Amino acid sequence: MNKLIEAWSVNAEVQWVILIILCILVFSSVAWNTWNFFKPGKLVKELLVRTRSWWIMCACFIVTTLAHPLVTHIGLAFLSFALLREMYPLLKLDQRERNVVMLCYAVIPVQYALAYLGMTTLFLAFIPVFMFVVIPFMLVIRGETQGIVRSIGLMPYSLVAWVYGMSHLALLFHLPEIPSFTAGPQGLLLYLIFLVGINDVLQFGWGKTIGQRAVLPKVSPNKTWEGLIGGVLSVTLIAVALRFLTPLEAWEAAFTGFCVALAGFMGDAIASGIKRDLGIKNSGNAIPGHGGYLDRLDGFSAAAAPFFHLIYFFGVTTAG
Amino acid sequence: MSPGSIDAELFNARVPSGRRWLLWFLYKVLWRTVFGVVIGLRYVWAKAPHPDGPVIYIANHNSHLDAMSLMTIVPSHRIHLTHSVAAQDFFGRSGFRSWSMKNLVNAVLISRTKEERDVDPIELLDAMLRQGHSLILFPEGTRGVPGVMADFKRGVGHLASRHPDIPVIPVYLDGLYRTLPKGRTLIVPFGGTLVMGDPLSFPAETSIDVITEKAQLAIEAMAHDLLDENKIPSSDSP
Repeated sequence: MNKLIEAWSVNAEVQWVILIILCILVFSSVAWNTWNFFKPGKLVKELLVRTRSWWIMCACFIVTTLAHPLVTHIGLAFLSFALLREMYPLLKLDQRERNVVMLCYAVIPVQYALAYLGMTTLFLAFIPVFMFVVIPFMLVIRGETQGIVRSIGLMPYSLVAWVYGMSHLALLFHLPEIPSFTAGPQGLLLYLIFLVGINDVLQFGWGKTIGQRAVLPKVSPNKTWEGLIGGVLSVTLIAVALRFLTPLEAWEAAFTGFCVALAGFMGDAIASGIKRDLGIKNSGNAIPGHGGYLDRLDGFSAAAAPFFHLIYFFGVTTAG
Repeated sequence: MSPGSIDAELFNARVPSGRRWLLWFLYKVLWRTVFGVVIGLRYVWAKAPHPDGPVIYIANHNSHLDAMSLMTIVPSHRIHLTHSVAAQDFFGRSGFRSWSMKNLVNAVLISRTKEERDVDPIELLDAMLRQGHSLILFPEGTRGVPGVMADFKRGVGHLASRHPDIPVIPVYLDGLYRTLPKGRTLIVPFGGTLVMGDPLSFPAETSIDVITEKAQLAIEAMAHDLLDENKIPSSDSP
């Protein structure tokens, strides 16, 4: 049995964070079920559905993270694809532009292949430099210019927000060697997933319990100052506590946690604005209790790139 | 002549077992994965359990993918006994088309015009139902305008009124016309929703027009519910 565990290449840090995630899930499942048993209500029903979805999401995230990096890349690429596929029908793109939509889908495997092959420079330039020219050009050569400004804005935006941002999670596998850092890319990935996930949960929790004043009353009435500040502060503390997954010092981890929580909130707010303009409550129904893929992944896609650059700056640049 | 032999003359009920397994693999495995993972079709299942015997599925029609998506919701043990009803003039145009419609889609081709038919399509479909097969009907008769539902033709009324014991399952398909619109060949994943309704049953002696109208109303109600599902409630708006 001991040999089997040794052969399994999951390091101690990652095992610890998985244990913590399982404890939180078990604790909340038990708590909500007990609450539901004694005092059933609408809120606790919603919490139960959400927790059940969190179980499934955590299982998917952990399995794809621990598997071979190729599987992790494919899993992340699928998330980007699911985001685009969910949003394109809602954005009401012109049906005659479907060939360009296909091109946008085709960008995803290329971007993740660049990440997998470790071609970092091209990876960083591919979407925001090359595709920013190619996609508008493909729209223009159709010869139909009516309403084209909207598509020229939307398609590159969708790629940057939901493909380019998410794909930085794959780039964590190609950080240069950092001395005395043992948790590996899997550890970093789980660290970010944990922080953004717990950020959403805590902002929801603080907002529901002590929330009074709305931050953006016209965009999202459910986001409150109390939820935002409480969430950001708690996530900052959690980031320090879990810094064994990263090469960071305590104050660096605090700053990273602060930035990730804030970026998660910003991504959430942007998605709320888009959804409000489109007149929809959720972006889809893929995840029971949460909504669509975008409703859950808006924070991740906004926080991924800042997280990568902070790790790179603190772990590689300033460390020498 | 006994009624059984007339049926046998109209329609040969035997399906080769090779085709049965091919259809099962194509629809319950391959297309189901393509719809779920690639195209992103969301399945909303009926609350009532699926009836065991023959049924008539009816759905609105905007895309060639409609028949494929309906075949994926048929229970595995009846997949070879379920036939989508397709137009002879469109799908019988070439040998390859009619061969693949028969063997890969398990479709039955009927003629839409009165002049060229040698057999009344209703008699043929009636014989199929009597021999325990299920049908997939698109009562609009054509794919029509994307996202717009046309008035139903009376075929479903004829069949349901002759078979009051066979339930009619209404299915509402939303969004597949974006993935594969009329006149295009490139499939671009755009999501969509398949809503399966509870089985409708019509008591004997319900008139053909009433059945047709009720079937159309059922699908329109499902379309309406789906549209309302994701709206921001008015009390929530700023």
